[in-house]
Amino acid sequence: MNIKAYIESGVIESYVLGMAESQEAAELEQLSRQYPEIRKAIDGFEAALEQSAMAAAVAPPAHVKQRLFAELADEFVAEPGKLVSMPRTFAWARYVAAASVILLVASAALNIYFYQQFRYASTAYQALVLEKSTLLAENQNTQTKVLDLYQSMQMMSDPAVTKVSMPGIKGKENSLATVFWDNKSKDVYLLANKLPEAAVDKQYQLWAIVDGKPVDAGVIGACAGLCKMKNIPKASLFAITLEKKGGSPTPSLDQMYVAGKVG
Amino acid sequence: MEVVKKYNEPELVLLLKQRSQHVFSYLYDNYSGALLSIIKNIVSDEDMANDVLQEVFVKVWKQIESYDSSKGRLFTWMLNIARNASIDTIRSKGYQNSLQNRELTEDVYIAGGTSETKTDQIGLRKVVHGLKEEYKVLVELSYFQGYTQDEIAKMLGIPLGTVKTRLRTALIQLREIIKP
Repeated sequence: MNIKAYIESGVIESYVLGMAESQEAAELEQLSRQYPEIRKAIDGFEAALEQSAMAAAVAPPAHVKQRLFAELADEFVAEPGKLVSMPRTFAWARYVAAASVILLVASAALNIYFYQQFRYASTAYQALVLEKSTLLAENQNTQTKVLDLYQSMQMMSDPAVTKVSMPGIKGKENSLATVFWDNKSKDVYLLANKLPEAAVDKQYQLWAIVDGKPVDAGVIGACAGLCKMKNIPKASLFAITLEKKGGSPTPSLDQMYVAGKVG
Repeated sequence: MEVVKKYNEPELVLLLKQRSQHVFSYLYDNYSGALLSIIKNIVSDEDMANDVLQEVFVKVWKQIESYDSSKGRLFTWMLNIARNASIDTIRSKGYQNSLQNRELTEDVYIAGGTSETKTDQIGLRKVVHGLKEEYKVLVELSYFQGYTQDEIAKMLGIPLGTVKTRLRTALIQLREIIKP
């Protein structure tokens, strides 16, 4: 068979343009499978025809596409296979949804974390506030003590103040107390240098011996440093006894701890 | 935003057979103009040509399963659908009536061939218009109006063999003109 002559006969163009009779078409299809040249000639004309048609393309009005898609709308929706037509949208939406969930979880986790941090900070802050007020109170105490001590020191170093040292008597050698007696105002201050701790129902009491008789000079309270005692205009000796709480009118001599002469 | 992707023909066919609406839309955007130029070669009425275009794409969508790539290109297949649909349209009663209303008859065409038609002188028809008169009439009648060679032989009063030979020669000339 003369392939070249067959190709040049116009049968290929007739076939491609849809003008060939069915017998011709069937013959050509069979020959095209047999002879690559024929296949090539068919392909070549098809490509040329497409190219020429594309070059002559006239854009249809936009409403044609709208009507077309409206007509097919049911098919697009009805057939499940159509879902592949929107994979990008769905994939995109899936990613957004996944991202949202991740963000939500992350946000919740951060909320918990920050809340715990807040609780911790809040507790720590309250502890600090408490500590600060405690320190402030202690500081005030200390300042008061320092002021007291300063005043005591001023008083002790005053030349008008007589210092009466009262060592422990026999059997109470470890004890020591000191009386500071202002010669002008006759005020008496006591420094309990070293006295055993009194029982809960007991209290130390200072006595001034005036003309051989003991005069109550006051009980020793819980004072830091110097304790201001009663005003004693005249005394030859001071002594301390342990009495019942609140003091006694007369000293229990067997409970004497310290004593010291004036001058 | 949609990325404009170019599909090659096997991809197009595969995705169309998988009923991808997206690819169908791409197919329309890419080929509707070329197919419309062929439809307008046959169907002179603008609105009707647009209707045929819509009908063609509905057929493409519904009949894609029957497309066999071993027999030819997708465009060739669509082109033949467009041609057949166009010829069916101009042969329909409604179309004939509308033509008569416009005082344009097929007879003008069939009888002489030299008279201008109202169809667009674009694309393939413009190419055919450049052929020798004796060839042009044959291509007009067979390709653009869908008459069989038998019918044409009777219509023009020439032997069937002559119709056949002349038509083949005409198509070869046509090929030479459109050859890139």
